[in-house]
Amino acid sequence: MMRILLNYKFIGLLLPVFFLGLNGLYANTVDSTITDFWFFHFLGRLHPMVVHFPISFLLLGGILELYYIRQKHQALTTSVKLMVWIGGVFAVLSAVMGWLLMRFDEVSGELLNQHQYLGIATAILSIVAIIYMTRRQSNPNKLNIALFRGFLFASGIGVILAGHMGGSLTHGSDYLTSVTPMSSQAELPIAFNASEFETEDGEISMEGKLKLLMQVRGVFAHKCYKCHSSDKQEGELRLDEKKFVFAGGENGEIIIPENPEESELIRRIKLPKDHDDVMPSKGKLLTSEEISLLSLWVEKGAVWPEGAEDISIFREAELAPRKPPLPSLKSDFVNTIDIWVDDYFQQNNIDWKATVDDGIYLRRIYLDILGLLPSPEEVAQFSADTDVDKDSKKVLELLSRQEEYSLHWLSFWNDILRNDYTGTGYITRGRFGITDWLYTSIKDNKPYDEMVKELLNPDDKSKGFISGIKWRGTVNASQRTEMQAAQNVAQVMLGLNLKCASCHDSFISDWKLEEAYAFANIFADTTLEINRCEKPIGKYAGTRILWSELGEIDSTGTREEKLASLSEKLVQPANGRLYRTIVNRIWAQMMGRGIVEPVDEMDNLPWSQDLLDGLAVEFVEGGYDIKALIYKIATSKIYRSPSVETAEVSELKSEDYVFRGMVRRRLSAEQFSDAVSQVFNPLYGYRDIKFNPYPENKTDTLPPFFVRSSLVANNEFLTALGRPNREVVATSRESQASLLEALELMNGNRLNQGLQLGAEKWIDEYDSGNEIIQNCYQKLLGRQPNNEELSIAGNALGQNPETGPVQDFFWAMLLHPEFQLIF
Amino acid sequence: MKTTEDNARRKFLKQMSQAAIAGMALGAPVSSLLTSCKRTIDIPSTADSVILLYMAGGMAHTETFDPKRYTPFSKGMQANDVLSTFESRPTVLDGISFSEGLESIGQIMDKGTLIRSYVAADLGHILHTRHQYHWHTCYEPPQSVSVPHIGSWIAKELGPKNPVIPAFIDIGQRFDVGEGEELKAYHSAGFLGSEYGPFSIPDPTSGLDSVRPPVGMSNTRFEKRHQLYNDLISASKMGEYGSDYQKESLKASMEQAYRLLKSPEAEAFDLSKEDREKYDKYNTGKFGLGCLMAKRLVEQGARFISVSTEYVPFLGWDTHDNGHTRLVDMKKMIDNPVSQLIADLDESGHLDKTLVILASEFSRDMMVEGRPDKKVKEQVNQPDVIEDIKNYGMHRHFTDGCSILMFGGGIKRGHVYGKTSDERPCKTIENPIKIDSIHQTIYHALGIPPETNYEIEKRPFYTTPDGHGKVVHDLLA
Repeated sequence: MMRILLNYKFIGLLLPVFFLGLNGLYANTVDSTITDFWFFHFLGRLHPMVVHFPISFLLLGGILELYYIRQKHQALTTSVKLMVWIGGVFAVLSAVMGWLLMRFDEVSGELLNQHQYLGIATAILSIVAIIYMTRRQSNPNKLNIALFRGFLFASGIGVILAGHMGGSLTHGSDYLTSVTPMSSQAELPIAFNASEFETEDGEISMEGKLKLLMQVRGVFAHKCYKCHSSDKQEGELRLDEKKFVFAGGENGEIIIPENPEESELIRRIKLPKDHDDVMPSKGKLLTSEEISLLSLWVEKGAVWPEGAEDISIFREAELAPRKPPLPSLKSDFVNTIDIWVDDYFQQNNIDWKATVDDGIYLRRIYLDILGLLPSPEEVAQFSADTDVDKDSKKVLELLSRQEEYSLHWLSFWNDILRNDYTGTGYITRGRFGITDWLYTSIKDNKPYDEMVKELLNPDDKSKGFISGIKWRGTVNASQRTEMQAAQNVAQVMLGLNLKCASCHDSFISDWKLEEAYAFANIFADTTLEINRCEKPIGKYAGTRILWSELGEIDSTGTREEKLASLSEKLVQPANGRLYRTIVNRIWAQMMGRGIVEPVDEMDNLPWSQDLLDGLAVEFVEGGYDIKALIYKIATSKIYRSPSVETAEVSELKSEDYVFRGMVRRRLSAEQFSDAVSQVFNPLYGYRDIKFNPYPENKTDTLPPFFVRSSLVANNEFLTALGRPNREVVATSRESQASLLEALELMNGNRLNQGLQLGAEKWIDEYDSGNEIIQNCYQKLLGRQPNNEELSIAGNALGQNPETGPVQDFFWAMLLHPEFQLIF
Repeated sequence: MKTTEDNARRKFLKQMSQAAIAGMALGAPVSSLLTSCKRTIDIPSTADSVILLYMAGGMAHTETFDPKRYTPFSKGMQANDVLSTFESRPTVLDGISFSEGLESIGQIMDKGTLIRSYVAADLGHILHTRHQYHWHTCYEPPQSVSVPHIGSWIAKELGPKNPVIPAFIDIGQRFDVGEGEELKAYHSAGFLGSEYGPFSIPDPTSGLDSVRPPVGMSNTRFEKRHQLYNDLISASKMGEYGSDYQKESLKASMEQAYRLLKSPEAEAFDLSKEDREKYDKYNTGKFGLGCLMAKRLVEQGARFISVSTEYVPFLGWDTHDNGHTRLVDMKKMIDNPVSQLIADLDESGHLDKTLVILASEFSRDMMVEGRPDKKVKEQVNQPDVIEDIKNYGMHRHFTDGCSILMFGGGIKRGHVYGKTSDERPCKTIENPIKIDSIHQTIYHALGIPPETNYEIEKRPFYTTPDGHGKVVHDLLA
């Protein structure tokens, strides 16, 4: 019996099987007693204690074995045997308990995973060591001896490393390093390199101290102003101005220059999370970088020269337009987009890749310009075309298909202008649609400056944007319609977040409450009374455009006069920000990510300032022509380059994002829905139309001969696919699928019926299963199926396909990621 | 925040096999030892599921859980004398009476807490959906960002309790009714993303349709279709496109939906599986059956369920006329199902970890529109002398004293909190409680800390405005 048990295969398998079993048991009994049973939790908590057994016994066993190699005392083998047995058994126990601990205390993390991984490996190693130890005893040949020692020493190493990781988990990963002399240097903030500003005597220069102060104030603003600035003074402390910072709070001074250890400020930010005195008391603690930054600043004398408040601590983008000088032309690119991208690629050591094939390119421009799929005939024709200018000719042709173009881009503008056929406010006439105006403007390719002027200084058809949404009853001061107008104009047209500043001085920018009110006042009939956090402060707003460079607004004018003046001043070419914002939005729409991101935060750093500035200036020079901008992007080499995959969504948001090409995108709700209508069967009928662009015709009598989804009210199908409810401005769609979306696609009525009708039509139209399969691949994916695909789908459809299997095949194809993504 | 059980399991299996291979191969790979460890802080919770029973349209406190002096109908009566149009009936709690028609709920009050001092916000000229928005999101509309429903916050913070059951299920409300767009505005996950939005079951009798293969599709065909989908993906050149978060999220969502539609737990949505006798006890119509579905869902591990009496302007609790007559029916609609739900959950032990809340956006009064010291524009013409029974009832919107019931999930048993005046205006005179405290107390019971927030457009957005909602510890056992 013992022999069977010690069979290495048996034990080698036993341990993983044990874990799998335990885990399976756990997973299958969500409600069961295991999750609640205290004893298992208790066992888990014993892990930190029990792990000391394998650590000491396996190591001691190893050391004794080493000693035995030299001394050959037979008595030692008995000790070794005992040590290894105890160590091995406890190693397995520790692993099990560790696993329980992880499950019950719901801890997770990268280091924990490694610890778990290594811990289990060590337990297995020690068991294998036991097996060979037993074998050595019965058959002491060289192989068994060597294997035994190998596994024993390996488990010794494993136990040391796993133990170290465990220590790091409980005490913090810098537990050891924090006491070494190297650590304070290593902990210096990345953003501030003191040595850069060191003078000969080892001190930091004045310039350096000022920079340091700016960063310190940045930390104060982002992490402390919420409770310690003009709006709120917890503990009677303010951190927004020099005199307050050095005056301290109710407990006295908080800073003792050159003495961080004695400074209350530094003491409290260093406290652990659950300490009563820790700061910030709400929200996240400061990062170690922020703490060392503040400490360094105090250590260097807490320098704060007079007038430093006027130095901004937030990045603010240039307002004026800038025409970047072209780089020395080393390439033969014609499109300025490619020239700038090439320049960027060279600086970042990125290579151009071979452009995509005609099919992929055609699918892209169709979806981006018309929101539709190209037909297989068009793909074939385009591929066969040998004209070197065929790309640009095709793009021009698509841009000239006005109705289809307009019905695609309508959704983009509806999102950002918060326009919809249904929504809150309409019920009490507190909201106005602008679809008619918007559709006409897109169709006529109205110059963007004209569009902006008509939105800001509107007639009855375009007033909906600045008149906002009014619900019946009294509304928060920060949401009165004038303030909504100020916020939305700032966000949509200027890529500026005024939402914070419309309630209190912003913590995230230099914008002040009074500036936000002064801007909102332009949209008001009467003079607005300023409210801070919903309380009137007894002051009335001035009247001012956000940037004085753009000129002044006569505060005594009527609302109409003020709006007329605003509209002229905002669109002047000197307002480079207006045009950077729109070119960045269109770029993001077609390339998957903005040059600046988020697209509403135009003060953020672009990945290429030259490209952004250059595009904006050319946009103005070219007559504010949106189609020309789309043309320019669609005919660039970078647009024709392969799309780039993104493993994690956070990569796109990252500040050190590196541009490599078009980001892969998901079909929008409207593109998906229209593809179903186009290829299989219309999902909407004439009666679903909420806006008829051609009153003289039925919409489905014009190409593409079905009702486009941008013309219908939002519904459960489109919502599931990501069409936003346009209660607030929506400038980006969700890029990830959700369970609710998948459920709607799996059993929603609209799609199910559409596909059933489509299947019936196709069966009538095509002679065989193969024909259906090939057409479906060509129409949806723009390619032929490969042999494997043909055979799988062929098996599903059979010789004489019936509605059900055909419908199911369509469904599988629509859900195919290759269809749902724009490659 | 927390990994779902199944994700954790898959991850574990993967690591397990890696560890086994590494162990056998004698060399454990060592990567950086200095990566940080992220801990999910463990906060003790007393509840892990929530059922919100929503009395849509404004439930008059004096006609339900906080009855006052009864004045029977008689022609020529003075309107100002009428505080309640029903008799009071004793409950299981000493000295506490409910309005006639709520006797069954009265009998289970030893299992929960009665709050008689909810004070709704002043939102001016009253619009139900604005107050409902405020009740469900804790924020007054409109807001400059899209604000999440309380169910979405809970779904986001705690995730699904059972991975195959959507974390936020909304039963009983249709959206093609008057003010439908306003209803949609708060039945939303807002900036948290549609993943946390409500799984909507407007009619519980056809709720099963939402979680089974499309009508007319057999299980075998459904399975074959899914197999075909998977096979076609494997056969395509997708692999060449590398790993992409969008591709992965598509596939993962499809898999999750498929598992839900295939799972035995989906039977919780099938009311025909319920014992006939029990079904009849609950069956007072859509609301009652919604309560039954909520019970079944909680037993299968649902996280947040809202069951609404449904808001349709001028219907349900929205009594602009015939208040007395209509409330007889409304009370019939809720009395048995609510008491049965509490009793059933208690019996099965689920009540210990399930927090049940019964609430309405505001109350009603015969005379006062708004609140006594802040009256707003009247919407109902109330004659001073009542000649017609249609004028006998609470028809104006009253915000200064409303009742809320809470059961289970760590809430005190047999407790009464707050008090309203016994004479008109029947307003809150003791322990006023506002919506942010209600929300914070719910979050607290669920172990969601008050500082929970997300940064949206660079602004921290908290579960309750600025994180300032105060837990009412007096409600907790």
